[in-house]
Amino acid sequence: MFGYALRACVPMKRRLGLGALCLAALGFGLLSHTIGGDRSHAFAQVASAALFPLVLPLAGLVIGDAVLGAEVRAGTFHFTWLSPVRTLTIAIGRWAAGTLVVGVALGPSFFAAALIAGSPRSAGAASLGAITGGAAYVALFIAIGVLVRRAAVVSLAVVFLGERLLGGVLTGIAQLSPMWEGRAVFTGLAPTVHTFSSVLPPGLPPPGSLQGPFPPQTVTVHIQTFHRAGIPDGWGAVVRLAIITIVALFVATRRLRVIKLAGSTD
Amino acid sequence: MSTHDPALVDDPTVDVRDLSVWFGPKVALTELTCSFGAGVTGLLGPNGAGKTTLMRAVVGLLPPNLGTVRVAGRDPRADRSVHTLMAMVPEDEAVPEQLTARQFVEYVAALHGITDRRVAAAVLERVDLTSAADRRLGGFSKGMRQRAKIAAALTADPQVLVLDEPLNGADPVQRAHLIALFHGLGDDGRTVIVSSHVLHEVERMAERVIVILQGRLAAAGGRRAIRDAMADRPQRMLVRTPKARRLAAGLLKLEQVAAVSVDGNDVTIATTRWRDLALALPSMAKRIDARLLEVRPLDDSLESLFKELVR
Repeated sequence: MFGYALRACVPMKRRLGLGALCLAALGFGLLSHTIGGDRSHAFAQVASAALFPLVLPLAGLVIGDAVLGAEVRAGTFHFTWLSPVRTLTIAIGRWAAGTLVVGVALGPSFFAAALIAGSPRSAGAASLGAITGGAAYVALFIAIGVLVRRAAVVSLAVVFLGERLLGGVLTGIAQLSPMWEGRAVFTGLAPTVHTFSSVLPPGLPPPGSLQGPFPPQTVTVHIQTFHRAGIPDGWGAVVRLAIITIVALFVATRRLRVIKLAGSTD
Repeated sequence: MSTHDPALVDDPTVDVRDLSVWFGPKVALTELTCSFGAGVTGLLGPNGAGKTTLMRAVVGLLPPNLGTVRVAGRDPRADRSVHTLMAMVPEDEAVPEQLTARQFVEYVAALHGITDRRVAAAVLERVDLTSAADRRLGGFSKGMRQRAKIAAALTADPQVLVLDEPLNGADPVQRAHLIALFHGLGDDGRTVIVSSHVLHEVERMAERVIVILQGRLAAAGGRRAIRDAMADRPQRMLVRTPKARRLAAGLLKLEQVAAVSVDGNDVTIATTRWRDLALALPSMAKRIDARLLEVRPLDDSLESLFKELVR
């Protein structure tokens, strides 16, 4: 299942699309140099505004849809479904393959973007956020692919209307969002955040109401603005992403048992 | 179970009872009851009759809205282990285009727990695809894709084989080869269900025929009985000649002609005995010195033929 998904489900166009998104990630790392000030802050800005909200979901969509939904639409999924293999095995096999592709593509890309941005200490966190967020996205788009016929359109609506628009104002939705949780992995584990926490004296007012100028060691206060109330940071977000992944795969497995695979003819 | 109903067989492997399937407002199958046993059974019907829907319901790709489908006594929607016994060749041209024929067959074999690569090689040989086994499916013609799908379906040595228009795109040599293959599978005691909208194809492939029209069972039985039933239907024939009116007047005197109409140089003839008419027409034309520019049947689509069966 895993090998088949890797060989058969990621055609050249999708590989090129994924490659373009990896290049875009590097480009965003370069672009961060247009932002002045601390490099980690500049990269965090780019990561929060472009890498996690744009590159991550699009890469997840390109691959997550390819490993199952596109096959269902094309009519080639019959060959897999008409076998004694359990639907759980099908869903997990496809997810594992998709996650491998996304992880291998985005993990190093986000890592390299942080290096290009001049923030090597953020590279590991960015990479981990990309891999865990990508894994959740692949599971989510697998589920969407077997739930609805127009999976690509619905997936885009989920990302840009659901996650970005609604998730931007409603924390409850953001908590279910691989985009926000992947971003929270990054903001929680990027070392600059911890520096900030240890530097700030107790009893200081919230970062939004702070007035400058600040002493040099507190420049990371800007990082604090990337944190989002109600969403766990760091490893807590990794756990959330794992839960999103498991739930999405459970839904996909259940749906695969009862899916209608009607043909295009007769 | 009664053997008097020609739609049913003794000791069925596949049993379909009161099956109804619909897609929104469109009813694809209505209370269809039939069964399939060892040997090759042909499903005959015009495009849109419901053949593909029936086949998809049999293998479990579609759930029945009403009625039941059982394969070896098991529900193919509920019991995935039934797929160890059954395989389907869908009509759709869709194949995993990235894979070679060998990789595709090996994948399907792996899904059935078969890791011996000789199995894939053997089934590719059976469908005469050995020379193209390492070419990508994306570059295959329609006929080659069909053969690759048949090879994949044969990997697990299924007891029930469901083939939806398997001869589509095949050249005459390949058709003969595949028909012999299906006969061989049927003779081995496997249940082979094969669909087509072409009467003579079904006649060559199957001893037993089930005719479906507009989602309903139209006829069932031996192929000879079906053909005899079809032979008596009225049929129309077009004859083009510069002496259309004289030919029409002469044809009206023949007892095998039911009606004649003339439109310019075209003579449309209705007959229930078209073979007799085909023999009489040249001598009639010679007698009146009429040159025949064109002679062709107007009802070659089988649609009228099927309608006649259910009238």
